[in-house]
Amino acid sequence: MARLVVLGGGVSGHTAATFAAKWLGSAHEVVVVTPNSKWNWIPSNIWVGVGEMSKEDVTFDLAPVYAKAGINYKQAKAVSINPEGSGTNDKPFVTIEYTLEGREGDSEVVEYDYLINATGPKLNFGATPGLGEGSNLGEHTVSVCTADHAIHANEEFQKTIETMKNGERQKFLIGTGHGMCTCQGAAFEYIFNIEHELTRAGVRDMADIKWISNESFLGDFGMGGLHMKVGGYAVSSKLFAESLFAERNVDWIIGAHVNKVESGKVHYELLDGSFGEEEFDFSMLIPPFAGVGLKAYSKDGSDITDTIFAPNGFLKVDANYAAGAYENWKASDWPETYQNPTYDNIFACGIAFAPPHPISKPMSSPNGTPITPTPPRTGMPSGIIGKAVAHSICDRITKGENAPLHKASMADMGAACVASAGKGLFDGTAAAMTVYPVVPDYEKYPGTGRDTDYTFGEIGLAGHWIKHILHHLFIWKAKLKFGWTKIPE
Amino acid sequence: MVKDIVKYPTTPSVEFGTDVRLFNEELFSIIEDLKDTIIENNLDGLVGYQIGYYFNVIVIKDENGEFLELINPRVLKTEGKTIVTESTAYFPGLTAKVQRYASISLVYQDREGKQHSMKADGDLSILLQRKIDYTFGSSFINKLSKNEKKLFEKKLEYGSDIAISESCPTIFKRDYIVKAINALMIAMIILFLSSFFVSDESAKTIWNYQIYLCFGAIGLNIVYFFYAQYEGKQFTSCSSCQIGNIIGTTAISLIYLSVIMLLSYFII
Repeated sequence: MARLVVLGGGVSGHTAATFAAKWLGSAHEVVVVTPNSKWNWIPSNIWVGVGEMSKEDVTFDLAPVYAKAGINYKQAKAVSINPEGSGTNDKPFVTIEYTLEGREGDSEVVEYDYLINATGPKLNFGATPGLGEGSNLGEHTVSVCTADHAIHANEEFQKTIETMKNGERQKFLIGTGHGMCTCQGAAFEYIFNIEHELTRAGVRDMADIKWISNESFLGDFGMGGLHMKVGGYAVSSKLFAESLFAERNVDWIIGAHVNKVESGKVHYELLDGSFGEEEFDFSMLIPPFAGVGLKAYSKDGSDITDTIFAPNGFLKVDANYAAGAYENWKASDWPETYQNPTYDNIFACGIAFAPPHPISKPMSSPNGTPITPTPPRTGMPSGIIGKAVAHSICDRITKGENAPLHKASMADMGAACVASAGKGLFDGTAAAMTVYPVVPDYEKYPGTGRDTDYTFGEIGLAGHWIKHILHHLFIWKAKLKFGWTKIPE
Repeated sequence: MVKDIVKYPTTPSVEFGTDVRLFNEELFSIIEDLKDTIIENNLDGLVGYQIGYYFNVIVIKDENGEFLELINPRVLKTEGKTIVTESTAYFPGLTAKVQRYASISLVYQDREGKQHSMKADGDLSILLQRKIDYTFGSSFINKLSKNEKKLFEKKLEYGSDIAISESCPTIFKRDYIVKAINALMIAMIILFLSSFFVSDESAKTIWNYQIYLCFGAIGLNIVYFFYAQYEGKQFTSCSSCQIGNIIGTTAISLIYLSVIMLLSYFII
C-alpha cells in the first residue's frame, strides 16, 4: 500500500486529494494535512465582504467529506519535510503540528511515498509595515482573503454606510497592499461590489472610491492584460477596465507599491519614483503572497530548504528558473509536470509551486523598488494542475515508477474567469473572461502571445448569473456530491 | 522609409498592442520609419500600429519640433479633465470631442530599454493620451460619450465632418417638381375625360394638347431625376435610401404618364 500525503486542502489540494482517493480506491492511502476544519470557496468571499453571503454559504466542514471519500484527514499544519527520511527512518516524512481542537500543538510524523505540496500561500501582511504582522491582518485595513476576514470586512463596511447615512462622506481605498502582489482580480471584484452595494444603499453620492494597485495599467490582472475581441477588434483589457472605472466613477492609482499603512492613510511609491499618500476611511488591501514557511531537512538533519524551495518559499518544480530578462521569457519556462527536480516523489500545485517569473512585464521604480504583479495561480488553473498532479502520482503508484507524468502547463492551458462587479438577480453584473493560454506563448502566437479567438471578455447580467451558478456548482463538486467528477475544474 | 498610414475602415490587427521585448535593429528601423512617415505627412506623431507594426512604440514631435521616442508607455497619474476636439490620421478629415485628462504623468522606455518618466500637460498631454490609446488597441472612438459616439459614427458613415449636426429635411425643393408633374397629369386626365363630351374635331385638338403635356411631364421627370440627386448630396445626414426614392418616384410618374397616354391614344 502506497501513501500519498497532500499538504493543503484548498482548491488545488482538495482537487488532487479527492481525485487521487477516487482513482486509487482503498488499495492505497490518501492523507490530507490542512490546518483548516472548513473548505472555503474563496471566490465568493467578496460577497461575504459586502454582506450578500454568510460564512456558511461559502464554507463547509471537511471532516465528513473526507470520511466519505476514504481520505485520512489530519487537521494540522505541516512544519517540515524530510525527503530522505532521518538517521533513524529511511522513509521520507513530513512533520505536522495539529490545529484540531483538543490536540493543538501536538506534533506527528507522517511518512509518505508521494507528497503534494498544495499549501497555498502565506498571506504576507507583514511585508508592508502597518498592513499586519506576519500572516495576521493589521488593524488599519480589512481583507477578503479568508471567510473570517470577509466577515470582518463586512462589519466595517456596514459601519461606513451608517456613517454616510448620517451625512458624513467616506473614502474607500481598495486594491493591492504591496508592489509584488497578485490577486488583483479579487480586489477588482471587491471594489465594484462595494460600489454596487453603496448605490443600493442610497449613499453612493457620499462615497469617494479609489483603486490602488501595482499593475502598470488598469486591466493587467497579473497576466499582462488580455486582448479581447469586441466587434471584430482585439482591444486591450485596459480599455475595458478604464471604461468600467469611468462608468462607475471610480478613480485609480496604478503602478503603486504601498510601502506603509497607518490609521486612515497609506503611503506609496510609484513606478516613476515619486511618493504619495492617500487617505481612507475604509480600505481593503490584498497582501502579497509568500510560501507558508515549510522547512526541509536532509537525512543528516542539515537544512535543505533552499534546495527544495525558491527564495519566496514556494516549491521548486520543473520550471526554468534561469530564464533571465523579460526578453528571454518563453512559454517553455513554465512547469508542465510540477515535479520537484531534486526529489521526484514531491510535487506542487496551486499557489504553492514557484513560478519561473512573472507574466506581466517586469517593472521597477528608479529607486529600485520592484512594482510588478506576480503571476496568478488560483482558480481554474490551480484545479487543473491539482488534477494533473494527482493523475501522475496515481499512475506511478498503479502502473510503476516509470509511468509518464501528466502535463498541465499554464502556457498551454486556457482559463475562464468570472469577475463579479455587483451581486443581484436582476441588477448584478460580472465580467466573464476567457484567456488562452494563461501564460503568453510569443513563439506560437506572435504579438500578444495569446490566441485571440479564445481570449475574449464580456460584462453583463449573464456573467453574474454564471458566477452565481458556478458558486453552487463548485461547492457541489467539492462536497463530492452526485456527478462531481463530471464538473470541470 | 515612408510607410502607408493605416486608416479606417481597416480594422486594427489582432496582434498589435504588444510590449516591446527586444530592443534591437528591428525596433530602431520601426522608429525611423515612424519619423519618416511623420515628416512626409506633416503629422504631430504616430504609433507603430498606424504604419502596420504591432509593437508599443510612439514617436511624437514635442513643442520644439524634436522627436520623442516612447516605448512601452504607461500612464500612471492623471489630473483634471477637459474636453477637446481631436483629429487623427486613422480617421482622416474627421474630428470628435473627446474627454481627456488635462495633465498626465507616465513612464516609458527609450530605445536602449532604459526607463524614464515624464509629466505632460496641454496639447502634449492630449497627444500622448491619444497615441497611448493606440498602443492598447483603441482609437479615440472608445473614449467618446454616447452622444458624441453616435455623431461620430454618422461622420464615419458619410466620410464627412460637416453637415452632420443638421437633421435630414422632410421637405425638399424637388418635391415642387413632383407637384408640377402631378398637376400636368391631372390636367391630362381632365382633358381625357372631356374628350368624351366633345366633337371629333375638338378631340383631335385635345390629343395635341395631351402630347404637349406629356412631353412637358417627361421633361420635368428628367429635371427631377437629376436635381433630386444633387439636392440629396447637400444633406449628408440623409440616408442613402434617397436614391431609391428618387428612382421610384420617377418610375411611378412615368408609369402613370404611360397609362394616361395609352388610354388617350386608343380612346380619343
